Amino acid sequence: MITIGIDAGAATTKGVILLDREIAGYRIVSTAFDFLSTAETLFEELLATSDLRQEDVVKICATGYGRMMVTFANATVSEITAHAKGVNFFFPEVRGIIDVGGQDSKVIVVEEGKVIDFLMNDKCAAGTGKFLEYTAKALEVRIEDLGSLALGSVHPAAITSICTVFAESEVISLRAQGIPRADIAAGLIVNIAQRIVIMARRMGLKEPIAFVGGVAKNSGMRVELEKELDVTLSVPSEPQITGALGAALAAQKPEKRSSA
Amino acid sequence: MSSPLSSLKYFEDMYSIRLTQLEAERKRGVKIIGTLCLFVPDEIIFSAGADRIILCGGKADTIPRAEEFLPRNICPLVKSSFGAIIDACCGGQIACSHVSLVDIIVAEATCDAKKKTYELLPEYRKTYVLDLPQRPNTPEAKDYFLSELKKFGMFMDTVTGHSITTDALRREIQSANETRKLLHRLYDLRKRDPPPIRGSEILRVMQRQFFLSPAQFQEGIRQICDELETRVLDIESKPRILLSGCPNAAGNTKVPDIIEQKGGIIVAEESCTGTRAFWDLVDEEKDPWVGLAERYLEIPCACMTPNEQRITRIKDLVTDYNVDGVVYSTLQFCHPYAIEKFRVQHALKKMKVPMLAIESDYGDADIEQIGIRVEAFLEMLS
Ligand SMILES: Nc1ncnc2c1ncn2[C@@H]1O[C@H](COP(=O)(O)OP(=O)(O)OP(=O)(O)O)[C@@H](O)[C@H]1O
Ligand code: SF4
Ligand code: SF4
Ligand SMILES: [Mg+2]
Repeated sequence: MITIGIDAGAATTKGVILLDREIAGYRIVSTAFDFLSTAETLFEELLATSDLRQEDVVKICATGYGRMMVTFANATVSEITAHAKGVNFFFPEVRGIIDVGGQDSKVIVVEEGKVIDFLMNDKCAAGTGKFLEYTAKALEVRIEDLGSLALGSVHPAAITSICTVFAESEVISLRAQGIPRADIAAGLIVNIAQRIVIMARRMGLKEPIAFVGGVAKNSGMRVELEKELDVTLSVPSEPQITGALGAALAAQKPEKRSSA
Repeated sequence: MSSPLSSLKYFEDMYSIRLTQLEAERKRGVKIIGTLCLFVPDEIIFSAGADRIILCGGKADTIPRAEEFLPRNICPLVKSSFGAIIDACCGGQIACSHVSLVDIIVAEATCDAKKKTYELLPEYRKTYVLDLPQRPNTPEAKDYFLSELKKFGMFMDTVTGHSITTDALRREIQSANETRKLLHRLYDLRKRDPPPIRGSEILRVMQRQFFLSPAQFQEGIRQICDELETRVLDIESKPRILLSGCPNAAGNTKVPDIIEQKGGIIVAEESCTGTRAFWDLVDEEKDPWVGLAERYLEIPCACMTPNEQRITRIKDLVTDYNVDGVVYSTLQFCHPYAIEKFRVQHALKKMKVPMLAIESDYGDADIEQIGIRVEAFLEMLS
């Protein structure tokens, strides 16, 4: 059975095409103003890359911020459930999940792929990927390079602002003081990692722990979290697609569209 | 969907009837007291021959008025109520007409946000502040509160010119107990599976408890109970939710509405617009003043310390109402309930009952974010 999972996230839209329990293709694009047209384009591209026709797809399940806007989907599932299912596909033994996306960070306690408990950040962008994106811009570093730059730092700068807007001005003032780029980058990562560590401790996450979401591609963040939590994190080869994958897996089971 | 309840319409219809009634009373010289908290006993107000109306604000539109005076980072309930008071007293048009009906505000020394805001009130309306002991479980606390209630009684005597007689006080205690018993009957009906009514509907009724007269409110509750006895809500099985935390003042139904739109069903509210407002009865055998002092100090408000009775209440509700999960809902910047969250969470963990914490204000900006959390929570429960 061919199913498609679409994760319409705040920062990026991800799609995974699943042939029974095998990933037949995936795509990641940035989320445009219009969730629906982003998802439609992604859907076309997914079909094209995997040589499939629309008729072959049995079911489409949407998750993420914009899931209700993906009107061509026949089911929806929450991000928490989706990530739990997606991570279970890669690492069945995992008991804790950390997902850091563009707008939300989530800490999930799981047992054999089933959600036991979860915690999400409060409503602002503090402790999320957008914080890193904005502050990387102020540093004039590409977001892809922020992690490896930070790894070169011995004395991370102290960044105290939780608020993205204030942190941006803090970065500018640190640069004006001549603090090396690497130290500022490391300081930003330490700042975010601390917020995530607090959430993980609150939830009492137990090993093994998976780290997913776009921010899991940030090597500096991974190293910092591993150091602070004193664990080795399991990171899938493509950590950004676990939500979409989970949605595609959910679509393999008969389920109805949620009432909302 | 089951047929709509005609008893709910009663509450809609009573709104304007009550306002007309209050206006007429006021013309006759009956004093109207404005209250903002459960700790101010209705019994004392009524036995002095006055009437009362709740002033707690649940709407965002008066908040900007309040922020001309108050810091931004205090709870929206305080800002909304205060905004309505100054708006009405300065001839503004934003707030509903309640404040203009009020002769005297009877406030209470509870949380910091309220206490300090009350200091600004006398400028706009005559204000009386009832003091409360903060450690309610001591004999000294009871004695002190007893003396505070008597002092308040004397104040009411001078306000109305009628002195409160023991008979009148006993009559009002009986009437208030009758309301409490009726609400127990209503809440007992919600123990059924599925419950015969949604929590978001009950909340809108509870928001009228201290707005309507006791007789009007009792009549409405009786009608709902009678109607619910035979009603079966034809809904598929849904996770049974206990809502616990800050009050939902009239106008604020955001979080409970989201919970039920997303497919949960609220079976009880542990809040001041829920169980805290009616759970304990006044002992009618005792001296009425003593009975009142004891009953009111049992209200498990987070302004009290320690507040063990709230944890016990929540645990009992979870068991008695067969609750699948608890949504702990606080208003932004409410420290008492936000801090107490930790102890509630801890107690529920021991019972293996999941809890979702939500902090929100009176704005609409976070509806989607709350929805995401609630949806995931409900999926986890089913
Ligand atoms: N190659 C990369 N290297 C480092 N970080 C990256 C990379 N790609 C994306 N990110 C980070 O990942 C974030 C986006 O993550 P993701 O795609 O999981 O978010 P989302 O699912 O859209 O958001 P949300 O889950 O909050 O709705 C970006 O803000 C950025 O910080
Ligand atoms: S929460 Fe406490 S202070 Fe607020 S209305 Fe209820 S009893 Fe009064
Ligand atoms: S909700 Fe909290 S902060 Fe607001 S008035 Fe009640 S106790 Fe005070
Ligand atoms: Mg995401």
